[in-house]
Amino acid sequence: MAGRGGRGRGRGQMTFNVEAVGIAKGDALPPPTLQPSPLFPPLESRPAPLPGGEELEYMLALKQELRGAMKNLPYFVKPGAPRRDIERYSDKYQVSSPIDSAIDWSPDWRRLPRELRIRVRRLRPGPPHAPPAAALLPKCKQRLALDKEEAIKKLESLEKKEEEVTSEEEEKEEEEEGKEEEEEEYDEEEHEEETDYIMSYFDNGEDFGADSDDNMDEAVY
Amino acid sequence: MTQAEIKLCSLLLQEHFGEIVEKIGTYLIRTGTQPLRMIVNDTGLSLDQVKKALCVLIQHNLVTYQLQKRGFVEYEAQCKRVLRILRYPRYIYTAKTLYNDTGELIVEELLLNGKMTMSAVVRKVADRLTETMEDGKTMDYADVSSTFVRLADTHFVQRCPLVPEAAETPEVPPPPAPTLVINEKDMYAVPKLNLVGKGKRRRSCDEDENHEHKAKKHKKDGEDAEPPPDDGIYWQVNIDRFHQHFRDQGIVSAVANRMDQTSSEIVRTMLRMSEVTTSSSAPYTQPLSSNEIFRSLPAGYNIVKQVLDQYLTLLADDPLEFVGKSGDSGGGMYTVNLHKALASLATATLESIVEERFGSRCARIFRLLLRKKHLEQKQVEDFAMIPAKEAKDMLYKMLSENFVSLQEIPKTPDHAPSRTFYLYTVNILSSARMLLHRCYKSVANLIERRQYETKENKRLLEKSQRVEAILASMQATGAEDVQLQEIEEMITAPERQQLENLKRNVNKIDASENQVDETIFVLESFIESTLKKP
Repeated sequence: MAGRGGRGRGRGQMTFNVEAVGIAKGDALPPPTLQPSPLFPPLESRPAPLPGGEELEYMLALKQELRGAMKNLPYFVKPGAPRRDIERYSDKYQVSSPIDSAIDWSPDWRRLPRELRIRVRRLRPGPPHAPPAAALLPKCKQRLALDKEEAIKKLESLEKKEEEVTSEEEEKEEEEEGKEEEEEEYDEEEHEEETDYIMSYFDNGEDFGADSDDNMDEAVY
Repeated sequence: MTQAEIKLCSLLLQEHFGEIVEKIGTYLIRTGTQPLRMIVNDTGLSLDQVKKALCVLIQHNLVTYQLQKRGFVEYEAQCKRVLRILRYPRYIYTAKTLYNDTGELIVEELLLNGKMTMSAVVRKVADRLTETMEDGKTMDYADVSSTFVRLADTHFVQRCPLVPEAAETPEVPPPPAPTLVINEKDMYAVPKLNLVGKGKRRRSCDEDENHEHKAKKHKKDGEDAEPPPDDGIYWQVNIDRFHQHFRDQGIVSAVANRMDQTSSEIVRTMLRMSEVTTSSSAPYTQPLSSNEIFRSLPAGYNIVKQVLDQYLTLLADDPLEFVGKSGDSGGGMYTVNLHKALASLATATLESIVEERFGSRCARIFRLLLRKKHLEQKQVEDFAMIPAKEAKDMLYKMLSENFVSLQEIPKTPDHAPSRTFYLYTVNILSSARMLLHRCYKSVANLIERRQYETKENKRLLEKSQRVEAILASMQATGAEDVQLQEIEEMITAPERQQLENLKRNVNKIDASENQVDETIFVLESFIESTLKKP
């Protein structure tokens, strides 16, 4: 109560003696700030120019090269292309997005936790360019060397990628015969191949509870 | 982690690894240690994408994992390590100055791939070097190997922790995650490899077409062949050693600026002798006798022992105290005061920042406060010889920006304002922290601006890339000059101007990022040296 009366009196009473910090009596104080400081405050002094020199230019070139190089490495994870609402015929002939579950480089799985291992479910190979025998690969390559049509080239590359992923997976699975888990998976996949259904649509409930329910990207009709 | 650091980390991850990795990395930095399921739930990405991103991050030493007692694995991001991505060009350039192109490429490959086996590195680097050599010449694996061994001997590359040799007990299932161990002694031990071969030159046909075939063929070859003899032994770049090198460089150049070339050479010799005996966080090097220093001076320097002694005395008496005398045996025992040197470097950086930002008179007041530690308002005006009004103004400006702080000293127990001293002071550590935070913000702003500039001109950039591709293919098939001219004219003059501007701006911004990173290094080293290690 006693303090209330004294609050308004006298311009700008402070809790400490303002003379000690140098504000003399009757000096004009700067006006109070009623808004946050501006986003781009005006610069009082221009910054000094950047130093030049061979060393710094070399490092600049290195930096830009590094940036460009990293974009092309397999470590640069590109998000899958967004699924269009209607499946179009031309989708088959376009360079499709990198298969989400494929990994372009092979890390040393011994050094990583087991849960990070990516198992690729086989996508049904596209119609005319059917299957999978690894023996076909060298022939495909030769054909390609001669044939320069872009569409076929892209389709081949796409298929090769699938092949590579699945053949890699198969080799890995064959290596680890001791693990029952792997064997079971392998058998399942063999059985799965005999049906006409695209297996990625089918959720066999194996991962129920363990994984989150991620949105199945393909619409189930 | 401060907001500024998190923002900068996320920008760096996005630029170098893509958005998916960025999302997961940022999530881990922000929320700390998490198991896989939580990451998938909270980020909303698919399980496979999360797995892929984690593999990439672990490969590059940006995320570590740990097996918890209850049997699940938790992942933790290393924020500081992510910030080092900014410094990669500096590491590569340093390797180039020390070990020539071979060393440069070795370090570059290791940085780009995170971890690699020695055989893989040697092969890749030999191939890359062969590409740049003249036709018919190839790079021998032995040269690359020897450079690699030298890098390992000087501790610039080190071994990654190894998977422990598991006993083959089929009943016990293998743990969900390996616990990696590394023995101190083995960290720099190079495996005995018999790498024989030469670099292969890639055939210069249509790269796009055959590249995939080649990659596939090589991979098939790699799979068919036996695992390399050093399978499982991975190498990574030893960032701390590079930092030690930068610190030494900074100290030597500071001495050279302050005194002369010879004294800087003496300090360089002392630091070189202490490289292996002193740990990187020690406050000062091991004492070195003047005789030892005399023997280890580089061959070109023929100064007499007396002159060396005089130089050492001068260095020890210098108020900056880079070098200290710790005894008299052996002609005088001298050490380099590392922590003091780092503090001096940080202080010099602070002073220079104040000078550039506020003007030389403010800098004078700042240096005065550094020297006298605590001063009253009146004393500042007197010592700095600056009129009262201006001195007041400058002090408040610096106070509002937190370069300077107020210290209250009460005369009476009731802290009455009229009976209290108010002293201005500079706290170097807190100013350094504040500036470091500002540096992180600056780099984040620079990166954002660069991305904005590139995005604004995306259409133009794509057009110019297409034109260049057309030009290149036409030149390869031998087109006439007239046709080439026509293609070049597809880009109009104002567009060319715009491209020039864009290039200049992007270069400027990149160079600024490198510059700010140098300041970040100095400030970080100083702050780290003040932290008490357990």
